[in-house]
Amino acid sequence: MPEAQRALSPVGSASLAARAPAREFLAFRLGADLYAVELTHVREIVSPPPLTGVPRSRPEVIGICSVRGLLVTVFDVRRVLRLEPELPGRLSRILLANAASGEVVGLFVDEVRQVIRLAPDEIELAAPNFGVELSRHVVGIGRPEGGFVVLLDLATMVDT
Amino acid sequence: MTAGGDRAREEFHSEAQELVETFSRNLLTLDAALRERREDPGLVNETFRAVHTLKSLAGLFGARRMAQLAHHLEDVLDALRLGKLPLTPEVLDLLFRAAELFAAALVAEREQTGDPLPAIGALLREFEQARAGPVAAASGVERYDLDPAMLAVLTEYEEHRLRSSVERGLSLFRVRVDFDLFTIDKALEDIKAQAKAFGEVLTYLPTGSAPSPDRIELDLLLASGEPLQVLVAALGGPHVTIEAIPLRAGGAAAPRTPLPPVVASLPSELPPAARLPADVAIDGGVDPAALRAVSQTVRVDIRRLDALMNVVGELAIVKNALARMAERVRAEGGRQLSSELHSIQRSFDRRLGELQGGILEVRMVPLGQVFDRLARAVRQLGREMGKDIRLVITGADTEIDKLIVEELSDPLMHVVRNAIDHGIESLAERSRLGKPTAGTIALNAFQKGNHVLIEVEDDGGGIDEVALGARAVSLGHLTESDLASLGRAERLNLVFLPGLSTRAEANDYSGRGVGMDVVKTNIARLGGVIDLHSEAEIGTKLTITLPVTLAIVSALLVRVEGRVYALPLTSVAEALQLDEGEVRSIDGREVITLRGQTLALCRLGRVFALPPVAGAREVTRRYVVVATLGARRLGLAVDELLGQQDIVIKPLGRSLGGVRGFAGATELGDQHVALVLDPGALIDEMLAAPLEAARERRALHA
Amino acid sequence: MPRILIVEDSFSMRTFVRAALEGAPVTPGEEVELVEASGGFEALRLLPRGPYDLVVTDINMPDINGLELIQFIRSNEHHRTTPILLISTQASERDRARGLSLGADGYLAKPFTADDLRERVSAALASRRGGAPPG
Repeated sequence: MPEAQRALSPVGSASLAARAPAREFLAFRLGADLYAVELTHVREIVSPPPLTGVPRSRPEVIGICSVRGLLVTVFDVRRVLRLEPELPGRLSRILLANAASGEVVGLFVDEVRQVIRLAPDEIELAAPNFGVELSRHVVGIGRPEGGFVVLLDLATMVDT
Repeated sequence: MTAGGDRAREEFHSEAQELVETFSRNLLTLDAALRERREDPGLVNETFRAVHTLKSLAGLFGARRMAQLAHHLEDVLDALRLGKLPLTPEVLDLLFRAAELFAAALVAEREQTGDPLPAIGALLREFEQARAGPVAAASGVERYDLDPAMLAVLTEYEEHRLRSSVERGLSLFRVRVDFDLFTIDKALEDIKAQAKAFGEVLTYLPTGSAPSPDRIELDLLLASGEPLQVLVAALGGPHVTIEAIPLRAGGAAAPRTPLPPVVASLPSELPPAARLPADVAIDGGVDPAALRAVSQTVRVDIRRLDALMNVVGELAIVKNALARMAERVRAEGGRQLSSELHSIQRSFDRRLGELQGGILEVRMVPLGQVFDRLARAVRQLGREMGKDIRLVITGADTEIDKLIVEELSDPLMHVVRNAIDHGIESLAERSRLGKPTAGTIALNAFQKGNHVLIEVEDDGGGIDEVALGARAVSLGHLTESDLASLGRAERLNLVFLPGLSTRAEANDYSGRGVGMDVVKTNIARLGGVIDLHSEAEIGTKLTITLPVTLAIVSALLVRVEGRVYALPLTSVAEALQLDEGEVRSIDGREVITLRGQTLALCRLGRVFALPPVAGAREVTRRYVVVATLGARRLGLAVDELLGQQDIVIKPLGRSLGGVRGFAGATELGDQHVALVLDPGALIDEMLAAPLEAARERRALHA
Repeated sequence: MPRILIVEDSFSMRTFVRAALEGAPVTPGEEVELVEASGGFEALRLLPRGPYDLVVTDINMPDINGLELIQFIRSNEHHRTTPILLISTQASERDRARGLSLGADGYLAKPFTADDLRERVSAALASRRGGAPPG
């Protein structure tokens, strides 16, 4: 692992970074790996309601569903990240998140884990052994107490 | 002393803001009218009421400076509307300055700065001077010998206008016209237009007697400053007689039938918010009756409307569930219980229908909202680009769903901006062509069936289709030979391709401009279509067709490959069984013959590439639903007709923006979502323009 | 099938009236035919296409207002006995009283529900037939 750059904040000094507030992420599982998105974007977690496929939509879109009357487009995070497909399981959930446009979108994941708090010195930029495709969506790597979480950028994942 | 907490303050500011904007907007219109030597008494009246409301509002919230300014302004406007003070450019200038001061005072209130604004005092002194001018003598309606039968059928508002006209010194005339019943619409519009040039038509009264059974006679009550001879010369004709309404004999005697006093109807209860706090002391005091007028309308946050719509949609699902429950109870032997449940469900259904109707009404707003914003933008854009622009707006009363209006602002703004920037020629060019120096942009809106049409027309140079075609080819959208095979209409439609309607280089004002492709997409997302007509050196006209509402519509549910789709009933002409043996193929396209006419067929299962559902029964008999939009028709081949249902169409999110063929989606029950088909888009797609057909053929042969 | 002429310049109000009268039969088992006019002028044009079993009209309309329309209807031998129901969305007490004195058979003041409208229309149609109200 090459020397990781400390902190994501452009203003660089270590002491400044250390004093910056911790960021909160919601972690979820895809296969055997842990991923996460910024908690502020996440509105709600629901059990997957019936999904209706939308003909001729992007391959990353599984379909649309209704959550208490709100129409939500649901993305398969696996397809967005070009991971191997897997059948949904008992623990599958949909994360309802606020996209930049104000639209509420859904992210289909295998299991929702917990909220993790990462101080700036626990976040590193992505390692180069991820493909070019992925680096667009990856904000960084989180290392909470020795763990390993891929931090994702919601905006680029949903971006048309 | 302020009323209520932060939220109340917020609402005060937003309401006051809107009133100040209304005031400014009206001044612009009065300004334009003044330049054309016209008067607009209705508008002066409306402005007076707006300022009056502002005064009450400001008083209630302790905004002393605003209240004081509004109070004096109200006096001036009252004098104006009663004709006691003439509207001169000088007075109008003072009013414009007052508008600016209002805006400043509102900011000061918001930021809670306590300094008095000296400019207000100065302005008020100037108003005083203006008012000290000569006062027109008031004269009563009673002086005129008006037929009491005519008076009896005037509404209160019409009576007020009558009073107003007389007090301004106008004379009254009766213009009796008889019309042919079949051409009455046009004839009425004509006489209306003619009469308006000479004064105000207060009312139109059918006389009940007619020269023949297919004619009808109307009396127009006209208030005019012109003498009778002038009116007769201008409006007279074989079917027109004009008479001056005489003054009562003996001068200003007591009238035979006294006019009832004009009393505004007050609601019986004083809403709590309108109670005046005791220690708000404003010059002259605040009139409690006026405070009641403040709360006659409610401003609605569009998000609350959406939330209500959602609830209504969910209640519709509950209603359906109740019906199913009643059926199940009956199936299990409980006849009595089932019949009671059915009765409850029917009652629920009725109430739900009322609720739907009520919300539907609230959702409808006049297009004038958007048009006003455009008017302000036009004024500014014209100045920025150094072009004199005259904006003509008609049909601002046309109503449309609030959701749509909110989304219309941007596309219309782009269209208008393009018209001013690209369409209207420079001053030099226009005079060279002998056109009036001011470029005209006309905005017109009207309703046609279940659609609202908005036309934007300019008298600019039109679209250069040769340059357009060349640009399209250079951008790689089509080849030279494709271009050659296009008709004129298709060539003009090239403007909707990406990159076509922007400048090659950015200029200072609008950058590259916003492409018409974006406008078309935005309109499409609202379920609308956009058409283009253009004539070189004459101008360009864009017509936007929109559905009246996005809310609850009746739909036909169909099943295709196991999936349920909904089709708005307004676009369904008919449905019939499909005899596969009757299907022919023309140019690679499937068609059937329906009552002697060819109908193109669209197999939704194939177009949507729907994989068959595992284990489903083979479909032996299909159906064709004939979808129409305007004059075009398309036969949609489906597996099953499921029946009719009222649905709430919700738009698909922006993330699905590129998907064609759907107007949105709806929830059917048990959280199941069905897509709603967009017949217009499907018709466009399947009855593709030769351009796309040519592309397809190229792709096939490639 | 009873024919009802609706005269109303507000589109949303017309939509509401149409929805109320079309949705559920006003008299059980019987449908009504609705003819709509967006104002007094159009009503004048549509009246000769009668007879109508009921006229439902607003008062405040531009050009020919509801009061003038009532007077016209009552002075016309073909429509003299047609029931007229006033629906007033903004009219004052005075205007409503005038309407009644000019010959309207009743009025519905806002706010009224679709049920209210249906009841009044039902009653008006029944009285027209001269029989007992539908039961």
